[in-house]
Amino acid sequence: MSGPLHQVLDAFEAGVSSKAEIAQRTGLSADVVDASVDHLVRMGRIEARELAMGCPGGGCSSCASGTADGAPGCGASGPSAKRSGPALVTLTLRRR
Amino acid sequence: MSLEHRAPSRSTLSCHGAADAIASADAPVVALAGTPNAGKSTLFNALTGLRVTTGNWPGTTVEVSRGVWRTPRESASGEIALIDLPGAYSLDPMSPDEELTRNLLVSVPRAEAPDVVVVTVDAAHLARSLYLVAQVRESGLRVVVALTMVDVARNQGLDVDAGELAAALGCPVVAIDPRRRRGIDELTGAVLQQVAQPPASPRALPETTDELELADDRFAWIDAAVQRATSDSGQARVNWSDRIDRVVTAPTLGPLVFLVVMWLVFQITTTVAAPLQDALDTFFSGPVSDAVSGGLTSVGLGETWVHGLLVDGLIAGVGMVLTFAPLMALMFVLLALLEDSGYLARAAVVTDRMMRSIGLPGKAFLPLVVGFGCNVPAISATRILGDARQRLLTVLLVPFTSCSARLTVYVMVGTVFFGRAAGTVVFAMYLVSILFVVLVGLVLRKTLWRSMGTEPLVIDLPPYQVPTLRLTAAVAWSRLADFLRRAGGVIVLTVMLVWLFQSIPAQPGAGGFGEVDVEHSAYAVGAKAITPVFEPTGFAAWQTTSALIVGFVAKETVISSWSQTYAVAEPDGSGGGELGARLIQTFHESSGGHPLPAVLALLVFLLAYTPCVATLAAQRREVGLKWTLFGVAVQFTVAYASAVLIFQVGRLFW
Repeated sequence: MSGPLHQVLDAFEAGVSSKAEIAQRTGLSADVVDASVDHLVRMGRIEARELAMGCPGGGCSSCASGTADGAPGCGASGPSAKRSGPALVTLTLRRR
Repeated sequence: MSLEHRAPSRSTLSCHGAADAIASADAPVVALAGTPNAGKSTLFNALTGLRVTTGNWPGTTVEVSRGVWRTPRESASGEIALIDLPGAYSLDPMSPDEELTRNLLVSVPRAEAPDVVVVTVDAAHLARSLYLVAQVRESGLRVVVALTMVDVARNQGLDVDAGELAAALGCPVVAIDPRRRRGIDELTGAVLQQVAQPPASPRALPETTDELELADDRFAWIDAAVQRATSDSGQARVNWSDRIDRVVTAPTLGPLVFLVVMWLVFQITTTVAAPLQDALDTFFSGPVSDAVSGGLTSVGLGETWVHGLLVDGLIAGVGMVLTFAPLMALMFVLLALLEDSGYLARAAVVTDRMMRSIGLPGKAFLPLVVGFGCNVPAISATRILGDARQRLLTVLLVPFTSCSARLTVYVMVGTVFFGRAAGTVVFAMYLVSILFVVLVGLVLRKTLWRSMGTEPLVIDLPPYQVPTLRLTAAVAWSRLADFLRRAGGVIVLTVMLVWLFQSIPAQPGAGGFGEVDVEHSAYAVGAKAITPVFEPTGFAAWQTTSALIVGFVAKETVISSWSQTYAVAEPDGSGGGELGARLIQTFHESSGGHPLPAVLALLVFLLAYTPCVATLAAQRREVGLKWTLFGVAVQFTVAYASAVLIFQVGRLFW
């Protein structure tokens, strides 16, 4: 039987829409799903992007997704550790 | 590079601590490793007290602390040299911190490696913390796991059995609470016991060099350890945030909650901002216009084109757009509150689910959501889509997302024709916007791009939080500032052009420049030429069609051009109430006595036809002129067909 990482990748392929669905589908604990997804992002198998609900005209520095130094979080590769508010993170499979 | 404290390289560690921070030469060396935020540094401080030196490791910019851990049961000197390694999630480095940790643990000759590695493991995030343990266990080093955050895990309903975890990991596990100094003695005992015995046999690895297979093997080991050592009290992870999520992201209830929330936003916006808007309207049409008129009269320019440009043009047009500033500010604040609280991320889940259910690429909802703020950045955001056909489809759908510029027109028309139900009308326009995105997307998919694949997408929801005043104010202000900048830039320019065309006589004998009756101006005559096309929509009046033409530039200019047209046509009747009355009269006449269906048809036309020139420019940049023109044709077709349908059906009942 394949390990958690393969199970998570299979769940992505099958079209799940949330981590909770991955846990439901695979039977893995939420903690293991979180760690697996983080690891797959780290390995470059999954792409993580942040999104704010609309771009403020004043620029990224005033946005929940923007980093402290004014760089974009929205659409930027990977979740920004420095983001100043809650932001949506989308995870997609990277085609290899 | 080694952390052998007896080696000369060790002395090069730049230090600014006390001299007693160096352990005696025969003291065993213990390295403290762990993921960031697992309590490693707190444990280090608890074990060493103030006997610490801190500085950059030679040749790196990575800060490392070391100190002396005095134990009651002795090594020869009773001391342990303790090194606080940089936080690392894994020994496959992705940062200088992780690289140094790897170098000091597994890249050094075995004689220079630490005698024992203490790995701090966060009980509340057990699986995430255990990857490093798996790799250190594979290295053949002696390992002791210090289990932190046990109380946090317990609060989440998760109990971690240290004994079972030790059995699963093949190394001692000691539950500790460094802040309260609990478990320190047990940890000391476990470390000294490890020092005294040979290392346990390393964890076996599968015979493969494939990175994913190796990582998956570790995760299978981690999963087995987590299952064996943790017991879920049934309350695990079911906190208030999860309970809310069960409702707001539920397949049926979620969309309903989203609709109610958005209806409330528009209802509050239109109701609360109305008095402020009226006050500003009175201000611009009263004192400001009077003062400028008085000033111009006093310098002899009272009845000249200058008066027309300033009073009937700039003040009437730009002033009317500016009256929407309080309304926009309030809506931006409410949306920022929803965004900052984390709710809008849940709304995105609902949207995404809908997109997928009709076979559109899930990832496309990202730029589409941005489009509800402004279409221009939304078109740029389509670059995140890997598939060229998905990108093209999304670029063509973005203009159907109702941007905030269109909101001003909805509110004005809604207030004039529907009074207190304006909020509901605005809300309905957003529903129509979503409907257009879905229907046009489906039609294009069924005709042009039948073979388009879908890209799997998972949404990771951020935790809820109490919105912060600073962030909410900053986001709302920056969006409002953008609105004001547009009012001061492109709208001023458009108002001046509209004034220019309203001042040019279209035929000889109609009057001089600036003196012509607006109905005989180039502006009105030009608009009248295309007005018959709109007969089936119920809004075929030159005042309306001219505003729609001007609205190509930016949607706010629909309001400014109406305001200018009626101010020029009825110079004595300026003011929002008068403008509203004139609009009602115009629609009554153009619709043959069915103004409400005609107004709804106009609103839907406004929603669907080309948003602004900036969006066209962005589309051309992303997909080229041919597809941009195709998009314009699709927008007009949808806009016109919908407007005709609404009016022709609506007038049967209204």
